[in-house]
Amino acid sequence: MDLRYSEEDDEFRARARAWLQTHVPRSPRPPRGRAAADFDRAWQRKLYEHGWAGVAWPTEYGGRGLSALHQVIWYEELARAHAPHHINTTYVALMHAGPTLIARGTQAQKAYHLPRILSGEALWCQGFSEPNAGSDLASLTTRGVVDGNHVVVTGVKMWTTDAQHADFQELLVRTDPESRRHHGLTWLICEMRAPGIEIRPITTMLLDEHVNTVFYNEVRIPRANVVGEIGDGWSTALATLSFERGTGFIGDQLDLYQRVQRAIGLAQQVRLEDGRLAIDHDDIAERLASLKADTMAIRAMTLTSIAETDRTGVPGPKSSLMKLMVTSTHKALSELVGGILGWEFLEFDGDRTSHPWTYDFLWSWVFTIAGGTSEIQREIIADRLLGLPRAR
Amino acid sequence: MFLAPDGAEIEIADTAAKFLSRAIPLDRLHGAAASPALSASLRAEFASLGWFGLVLPEGAGGSGLSAVEHALFYREVGRHCGPVDILAQGLAAMATDDHRLRAALLAGEQCVALAVTDGSGLRLLGSPDAALALYVDRDGARLLDVSAIETRPRPSLDPATGMRTIARGTPEAITVLLDGDVWRLGQLAVAAMQVGVAETALTLIVEYAKVRETFGRKIGTYQAVRHVCADMTLRAEAARCQLWSAAAALKERRADAQAHLDAAQHLANRAALMNADANIQLHGGIGVTAEHHAHVLLKHSLLLSRLFGSKRTLLARLLHAEIGPADGVGAAGAAPVGRSVASPEAAG
Repeated sequence: MDLRYSEEDDEFRARARAWLQTHVPRSPRPPRGRAAADFDRAWQRKLYEHGWAGVAWPTEYGGRGLSALHQVIWYEELARAHAPHHINTTYVALMHAGPTLIARGTQAQKAYHLPRILSGEALWCQGFSEPNAGSDLASLTTRGVVDGNHVVVTGVKMWTTDAQHADFQELLVRTDPESRRHHGLTWLICEMRAPGIEIRPITTMLLDEHVNTVFYNEVRIPRANVVGEIGDGWSTALATLSFERGTGFIGDQLDLYQRVQRAIGLAQQVRLEDGRLAIDHDDIAERLASLKADTMAIRAMTLTSIAETDRTGVPGPKSSLMKLMVTSTHKALSELVGGILGWEFLEFDGDRTSHPWTYDFLWSWVFTIAGGTSEIQREIIADRLLGLPRAR
Repeated sequence: MFLAPDGAEIEIADTAAKFLSRAIPLDRLHGAAASPALSASLRAEFASLGWFGLVLPEGAGGSGLSAVEHALFYREVGRHCGPVDILAQGLAAMATDDHRLRAALLAGEQCVALAVTDGSGLRLLGSPDAALALYVDRDGARLLDVSAIETRPRPSLDPATGMRTIARGTPEAITVLLDGDVWRLGQLAVAAMQVGVAETALTLIVEYAKVRETFGRKIGTYQAVRHVCADMTLRAEAARCQLWSAAAALKERRADAQAHLDAAQHLANRAALMNADANIQLHGGIGVTAEHHAHVLLKHSLLLSRLFGSKRTLLARLLHAEIGPADGVGAAGAAPVGRSVASPEAAG
């Protein structure tokens, strides 16, 4: 057990830091819309051209082929350099679609898509959830009818982040109408400009339109776009998980740690209604320090997870623990700061920059619902980590 | 960078786990013969396996291991609610450079209690026959002679740890060590033991939820039970991982080791207390019976949570602590904790 980085780790860090120092965009990311997507593409393109895209991707697919620890170092340096956050419009392409294609794609699919994903040329979105299939994803009903060399898709997907900017979609449909649950599903690459697709934005409580409903009216998708086998889409969807090593949260950890530090700074300036500084209230000071401990634990959990994966060769099923930890810490911090701030906390027009704490407070529900609700994460922990008997 | 037990560390933890589950099973705390005392024969057995000298240098009769092995051992002790005597005995050998006394402590011939501040005086935690008591603060440690003073046994809430107050007299310090390492190793051991308590609470309820039925179903199928178990898992996991951070930071003498220790101890206290609480509640009626282990975990974790700094102290220090940069700059190259020999200071 040790906390020492190797010389090679330090060299990698030094190179990353030096490069980021001169290449991080000077202007802030536009908050939304096409301008934000263009900004993300340009940044990813720059990373790709200078060899920083896909740090832990295999080299044969254009990555650097480095370890999970290098990935952590890279995220740490991104955060230190105040580089654009890795959760942006390129996220689904890089974190889901790419790894899934690497695991299950055909040679042709890999050759076409992987370079476009790494270079930021192609943005992706995810078409899994439906109006009546969210937490219970396997109940999805969007239909795919095999018609010669095509799969013809009709149905509705929901909560599709950045659908309006995406070029491609990971689309999970039911190709066997007689099938139930996890059987009879197919994982397709859907071109978002194909005829028959209609995208309607959903305005959220954050007053933004980052999620959408996507309607499919007999959209013809070439059979060559099936990833894995027809009818075996659930297995393809799970393959993505085998690539997940929980390192993606290290960026959130650093972000959260800095946010706790900012909240402590805030509490040292804000006077509450009794005229005393917020930090001089023991309950507030203790809750802030306790949240600081939580963010330190998130980093430790990331590093321990990498070490245990390296030792056993099997990724631990710990990503649900990480998601619960990160999202509950984020929520607790937002609520605490909300109680410290005066009336300005109740000002909000959807602008993240001018109302950061209120935005974070509202975002905390996105965090605890998207990507599997906290309740679903607890179910996964109960099933897979604890082996408790199932009722379902 | 490898933040998990590895190689020989795993072997030591496994050896400790095997020994402790035989030597101090939780069952010892139930029934007519239940006693919080660490008997002389048991003490000798701990000693013969070298558990009291784990971090003491080999030249001083110890095993010369580090804060990491120390944490691994005390996590196993915590799983069985091991008496605080074990920790007092394990730290005491560091507090003296008197060869003969140190040998007697390492051999378990001399029994040591832990002395803690109680108002303006002291309270002694541990076996009633302890003639010595170890008092530790952030600046150092003192071994006190309590053989000649009058003590009064107190009914201890924690069935695993005996308790006495001092009725008359002031115990004399026979050795004084000015070195904060003893306190830090005490903090680390408390964090480790609380992780062990939190993990045992989780294990007990998960086992029960797999067999106990209500309304014709295993209780482990109810989300009201499953989700609480998931939260218990998260609290134990966060505390365990931060414990590794603290142990490694202390071993490597990093500048931010104190902050990692404070965070680890706070998270472990919280995990132990909250998991012990949830374990009782989810067991239902059987959880409040004396014959069940559940109340022992709660009472023992309450006692541990008051040792080596209260929640208030830990969090006050952590609030303004600087955490070192991610690249480890700030790690000084001094000797690893656990390898410094007690310095010969005059008794005071």
